[in-house]
Amino acid sequence: MILPLHLFYIAVVQVILTSIVIFFFVTSEYRALSNYNLQTLKTFLMNQKKQELQNYTSLARAAIKHIHPVGDNKNETKQEAVEDLLNQLLYNGDDGYFFAYDDQGVNIAHPKEPSRIGKNLWHLEDAQGIKLIQLLINNAKIGGGFLQYQWKKPSNQQISDKMSYSTYLEEWQWMLGTGVYLDDVTQQLATLQQKIDQHINKTKQIILIISLSSIFVIFLLGLAINLSHKKKADKKINELGQKIVNLQEDQHRHISRELHDGIIQILVSIQYSIEATTILLKHNKQDKPNPLTEAEKNLKIAIQEVRRISHNLHPRILDELGLSAAIAALANDFSKQTKIKISLTKPKLRKLLPDNINISLYRVVQESLINIEKHAKATHVTIDLAIKNKWLTLTITDNGIGFSASKKNKTSAPTESFGIGLRNLTERIEYHCGQLDVCTSNQGTTIKANIPIHVFAQHFNSNAQKNNIQKSSPLATDPANTLPDDTIKRT
Amino acid sequence: MQSSVTNEHITTVLLVDDHPMVQDGLTACLSYYPDINIIGTTQDGKSALTMALTLKPNVILMDISMPDMNGIDATEVITEQLTSTKVLIFSMHDSLEFVNSAIQAGASGYILKDTGSAEVYAAIKAVESGKIYFSPSIAAALADNPLEEEEEKSKLTMREQVVLAYITQGLSNKAVAKKLGISFRTVEAHRRNIKTKLQIECLADLIRYAVNNGLIDS
Repeated sequence: MILPLHLFYIAVVQVILTSIVIFFFVTSEYRALSNYNLQTLKTFLMNQKKQELQNYTSLARAAIKHIHPVGDNKNETKQEAVEDLLNQLLYNGDDGYFFAYDDQGVNIAHPKEPSRIGKNLWHLEDAQGIKLIQLLINNAKIGGGFLQYQWKKPSNQQISDKMSYSTYLEEWQWMLGTGVYLDDVTQQLATLQQKIDQHINKTKQIILIISLSSIFVIFLLGLAINLSHKKKADKKINELGQKIVNLQEDQHRHISRELHDGIIQILVSIQYSIEATTILLKHNKQDKPNPLTEAEKNLKIAIQEVRRISHNLHPRILDELGLSAAIAALANDFSKQTKIKISLTKPKLRKLLPDNINISLYRVVQESLINIEKHAKATHVTIDLAIKNKWLTLTITDNGIGFSASKKNKTSAPTESFGIGLRNLTERIEYHCGQLDVCTSNQGTTIKANIPIHVFAQHFNSNAQKNNIQKSSPLATDPANTLPDDTIKRT
Repeated sequence: MQSSVTNEHITTVLLVDDHPMVQDGLTACLSYYPDINIIGTTQDGKSALTMALTLKPNVILMDISMPDMNGIDATEVITEQLTSTKVLIFSMHDSLEFVNSAIQAGASGYILKDTGSAEVYAAIKAVESGKIYFSPSIAAALADNPLEEEEEKSKLTMREQVVLAYITQGLSNKAVAKKLGISFRTVEAHRRNIKTKLQIECLADLIRYAVNNGLIDS
C-alpha cells in the first residue's frame, strides 16, 4: 500500500477548500447575525431615547403647567417665568435642555444659545438642508413628533446628529422641544461594529491557523508515510536485488557444473576413446593418422576452454574445499599474473559457511583484487580471514595509493564503476546481516567485511549431521562397528 | 602380450568417477595394461567407501567433484581405515589448493584427467609402490609454490572437524567412535591431533573455541 503524491495533493486542496468555504459561511452568517443584532440594538436604543424624550417633555410640560397665560395678551412676566423655568430644566449635563419657539419660528427660549432668543429662525436649515424649525413646529402641531437633524452639541461644540421631540403648548401657542444627541448611540454602535469585525478577524485567523496546521499535519503525515514506504520499498528492492544476485550465482553455479561435470567429462571420455584407438592402432602396427593427432590436440584445447569458462562462471573450489582454499587459489593466480605479492592468513576450521555467504565473500576478494590491479599501484596485499569475537572478518589490505589518489590520476569512470561495485558488495554483505567497511588513504586501502557468526553457526553441524548417515553407512560392513540401526543407502 | 605378464603382480584398482563415459574410456585404455585390474567402478564418494572396505583395492583412482561426498573427504575417511590402500586423485581441478587438500586428506598422488593413459598407468604403479606421484604440470606448479606445510598442517581436516563438533556437543570418545563408525583409538588420535593443532588442552576451551568459531551453535 503506497500513498501516491496526488492523494496528498487532493487532501491539501480539500483542506484549503473546506477552510475557505467554512470561512465565508461562518463570517457571512456571523455578520448577518451581528447586523441584525446591531439593528435591533439601534432600534432599541432609539426607542429608549424617544421614550426618554417624551418623558422629559411631559415633565417639562407638567413643570410649566401651573403658569397660565391669561386672555389673549400674554403676560410678560408669566412668559419670563416660563422662560426661566425652561432655562433651568437641564438634564444629561450640558446636552439636555429645552427650547421653545412660537408658531412663527421666533425663538422663545434656548438655554444654551441665548443669542438666538427673540430671533425668527423660521428658515433655519442644518448642514443637510433640513428646515428644522419648520419641521419641528409642524411635528408639534400634529400632536408631537420626532425629528433627526444636525446641531451643535454644547458639551463639545461639535455638529452632531440630534433627535428632537417637539410638542405644542396650546395655551402659549408655542412649540416646546428637547433633543438628545445621537453621537453616543453612533459611538456605541461603531464600537460594537468594531468588536464584531475583530471577532470576524479572529475567526479568520483561527480558521487560517487550523487549516494551515491541518495542511502541515497532512504534510508531516504524508512525509512520514512516504518515508516509511520508501524505506520499505528500498528494503524490498535491496532484497530483490540480492535475490537476483543469488539467483544469478545459482545459475552460474549450475551452468558451471553442467559444463564441468557434463561437457568436460564427455570431452575427456572422447579423449580416452582417441587414446584407446591410438593404442589399438599401435597394437596392430599401424601409424597414428595425422587427423587423429589433430583431433586430440583440438580436444585438449576445447577442454581447457570449457574449463576456463566453467571456472569463470563459478569457482568450483569454493564448493569442494571452502572459502579459504578458494581465496588462496585466487590469490595464487593473482600473484602469478600481476607479480603483486599476497600474504594470506586462514582460519583453522574449514567449510563453516553456506554457499551464498561463501560466494559473496569470494566476490569481495575478487572485486578488491581487480581494483588493486587496475588502480591501486600496490606492491603487496594482505588478505586475512579470521573468526574473532563472534564475527567472521575478511580483511583485504593493500599498500597502494588509495581511491582518492587514483581518482585524480585516472578518468572518473573506473573509480565510479568501483563505487558501484563497492555498493553492490556492501549490499551483498548487508544481506548476510554483515557490514562492509572501506578505509582508504594515500598509504593504501583496507576493505573489511564482517559477518556475525550466528548467521552460519548451525551450518557445519547440520551438514555434518546430514553426512553422518552417509559416512557411517559403509561401516555397517565393518565387523568391529556394527550399528544395528544403520541404514545402507545406495544410489 | 597378456600371457607374458601373468606372473607379474597385478594391481587391483577401484575407479571412482561420477561420469560413466570417463569410466568407460579410462577402463578401455587401462585394459591394454595386463598388470592393472579394475575390480570395481562407482560414481560417488559415499559408495566408494563401501566398495573400498569390501574390495580392499591396491589403488583407488578418485575423482574430486562428485555428488554425495567429494573425493577429498572420501579419501580422508578411506585412508583413516585402510592403510594398505593408496588413493590417487584423478581430477579436472589443477589448482594447488586441491592438491594441498588431497595430500592432507591422505592421497598419495594427484593426476589431471587430461593426462594420457600411459601416465595414468605410471602413476598407479608409482603410488602402489609407496611413492608420491604428481602430474608434471602439477609438479611444476608445486616447485614454484611449495606447499605451505606449517599453515596447512595446523588446519583441521574435515574428519577432525566433525569429531570436534561431536565432542564439543558432549559426546564421549566412545560415542563419537560409534557415531562415525570408527575405532575408539582413531577417535583418540583425532582428539590428540585437534588439541595439538588448536593448542588447546581442556574440553571447556575446546567447546568455547567451537562456539566462538561458529562450528557449533551456542
